[in-house]
Amino acid sequence: MSEVILSVRNLSVSYLARRGRVRAVSNVSFELHAGETLAFIGESGCGKSTLNLALIRTLPKTGQIDSGTMIYTRRDGQQIDVLKLNKQEHRRWLWSECSMVFQGALNSLNPVIRISDMIYDTAAAHGIPREDARKQALDLLEKVRLDPQRVFNSYPHELSGGMRQRVLLAISLLLRPQIVIMDEPTTAVDILTQRSILDVLKELRRELNFSVLFISHDLAVAAEIADRIATMYAGEIVEIGPVEEIFYRPRHAYTLALLDAAPRLSAGAEELHSIPGSPPDLIMPPPGCKFHERCAFAVASCHTTPPPLRPTHDAACHLVACTESERVLAAQRKIMRQ
Amino acid sequence: MSSLTSSAPKLKRDETASLLIRLRRLTRSYAFRIIAQGLITIWAVTTFTFFLIRLMPGNPVDTYIDALMQQRNLTLEEAQRAAAGIFEFDPDEPLVQQYVNFLSKLVRLDLGKSITKGGTPVLDIILRYLPWTLFCVGVALIISFALGVLIGLAMGYWRGGLLDNVMTGFASIISGIPDYILALLILIIFGVQLQWFRVGEVRGGVDPTIEVGFTLEYIGSVLRYAFLPVLIYVLASIGTWILAMKSSTISTLGEDYITVAQARGLSERRVLTSYVGRNAMLPLVTRLAISVGFVVSGSVIIEEMFQYPGLGRNLFVAIAQRDYTTMQGMFLVITSAVVFANILADLALGWLDPRVRLDKKVD
Ligand SMILES: Nc1ncnc2c1ncn2[C@@H]1O[C@H](COP(=O)(O)OP(=O)(O)OP(=O)(O)O)[C@@H](O)[C@H]1O
Ligand SMILES: [Mg+2]
Repeated sequence: MSEVILSVRNLSVSYLARRGRVRAVSNVSFELHAGETLAFIGESGCGKSTLNLALIRTLPKTGQIDSGTMIYTRRDGQQIDVLKLNKQEHRRWLWSECSMVFQGALNSLNPVIRISDMIYDTAAAHGIPREDARKQALDLLEKVRLDPQRVFNSYPHELSGGMRQRVLLAISLLLRPQIVIMDEPTTAVDILTQRSILDVLKELRRELNFSVLFISHDLAVAAEIADRIATMYAGEIVEIGPVEEIFYRPRHAYTLALLDAAPRLSAGAEELHSIPGSPPDLIMPPPGCKFHERCAFAVASCHTTPPPLRPTHDAACHLVACTESERVLAAQRKIMRQ
Repeated sequence: MSSLTSSAPKLKRDETASLLIRLRRLTRSYAFRIIAQGLITIWAVTTFTFFLIRLMPGNPVDTYIDALMQQRNLTLEEAQRAAAGIFEFDPDEPLVQQYVNFLSKLVRLDLGKSITKGGTPVLDIILRYLPWTLFCVGVALIISFALGVLIGLAMGYWRGGLLDNVMTGFASIISGIPDYILALLILIIFGVQLQWFRVGEVRGGVDPTIEVGFTLEYIGSVLRYAFLPVLIYVLASIGTWILAMKSSTISTLGEDYITVAQARGLSERRVLTSYVGRNAMLPLVTRLAISVGFVVSGSVIIEEMFQYPGLGRNLFVAIAQRDYTTMQGMFLVITSAVVFANILADLALGWLDPRVRLDKKVD
């Protein structure tokens, strides 16, 4: 497999809320390889956005990174700990090495200035001449299948939601970063626009060869775009592995439940199962495995001891935090056979 | 021959049709609408004030007679006789007649003559005093708005910081104090107690011993005399600007595009000006327009206290003397200024915010 460009170890993030400390991300570790797409799936509120905002250190004021390291490998092979960068270094690292397409495209563009000005602002912040930025931007706008001249000189309100989403995609690639984080880039648009954005993304990825951290509610979209999948539950990664492994041989009870609840991927379309209960309170998470309260496979030890994230027996690249993974797999087989 | 006769009326019909189309296009155009709206507003307010000031108890003649009796100890008859020669005004003329006269003069831009000031044209009075008020209140408004926006922006951006804590208290207190109380406080503390200036010398608009002209001395004197009124206007209004800008800044900071701008690695200064500042200012523009409109009227009490030769003070005098024509003229100027300022605000808002811009496509 290609080299690792981002290695996250034991990252924990919390928010200070009125009720107490919200442990939105706890002890998350994963690696991202050059050119690969890693998708995060999980219920709303499980900490996907928080994790990714923490990666670029752009958390809201109430959020803070409690612990962890994030080693980023630059193109020249130099390794840096993103969390140790000072303000100035961090500012330069942003966007030129790692950019982000935010959740909620409609509001991501400054309503009072032109797209071109946003592009020039970005370029100026990283010492790139205007003319180069313009050429690059027009080229990228063309690549995302927009009318480059028109869009370049437009104000955000003159563009449709789908167009804005593509503009954001183009801007995210402006400085040729190695990593692009995409937070639900297709949730706000209709199915056809979603289709075309995914196609554009795949094309760009092939051409420009960047890595993607992809966040999605939609398992079908994640399955289509990702090389690897990470399932998150209550702020933790509970399972991570290659996309076929996760979808065809899930080992975590929560992943199985998610697949079972998804319309297009479950075996019998008429038998959609919602997951009983609701996600735990992140201020006072339950002891043991955080999923045990909703889990059909839970045994006594699940209530007390949190299972560590470990490689499975037959695939070293497939990690799961579940002691009952064999039973989960067997259950999956049964569903598939039906 | 027959073809000729039939084509003529047809041609005429075409002409009228195209004229109608052009007329309709004109009435639908934004500029026309805005101007028409403005004129109607001015007319309505003017009419309203016309009748309102005539509903006030007393009329110019009676008021003058009262004053004569009190000041010079004349009997009623003596005073009436003295007054009869001065006024060209007949208080017994029917109201409607007066109104028609007034309007017919107004359309010729004739504001009439002052009833009490020996027939001085109202326009002359306005032109004489308006510049002083415009200057004094205008400068104060610019300073107060600019400073208020900057301070409010900084307070909102570095919320909870030292500046925020200090200024929030200051702004809340100062925005609650009326301007004349501020004026009194300043006169008493800095004038009477600390003796930084002599209270008697700050009255008026300029040192009367200095010759009028475009000289450094004259301008210096104008500035010196304007200093205290300007300071008071600024202090009286800046608190509101600060608090409005702060709250607008805080709500703007919550917008996604600010986070995105920061994530793009933009410098703090850029984010603060083009992204936070510009968006946070939008709601303040409308408020500014209202203030700009009232620049022409000044503050009656402040001008009276400093004997500043502005419009406000003269309006006060005119009201006291029931000088109908002068009052009408001044109210007309104030109304027009407010209406005009609102049109300006529309334009400014369009310039700042492309979403409300009128010419849709700008390529
Ligand atoms: N500013 C904040 N202050 C306090 N708690 C927060 C804040 N932002 C998020 N949270 C909490 O952190 C947890 C994770 O939120 P996050 O936005 O990361 O979820 P998500 O997985 O991205 O959800 P979605 O799929 O709905 O976008 C949630 O429980 C949420 O309530
Ligand atoms: Mg999210």
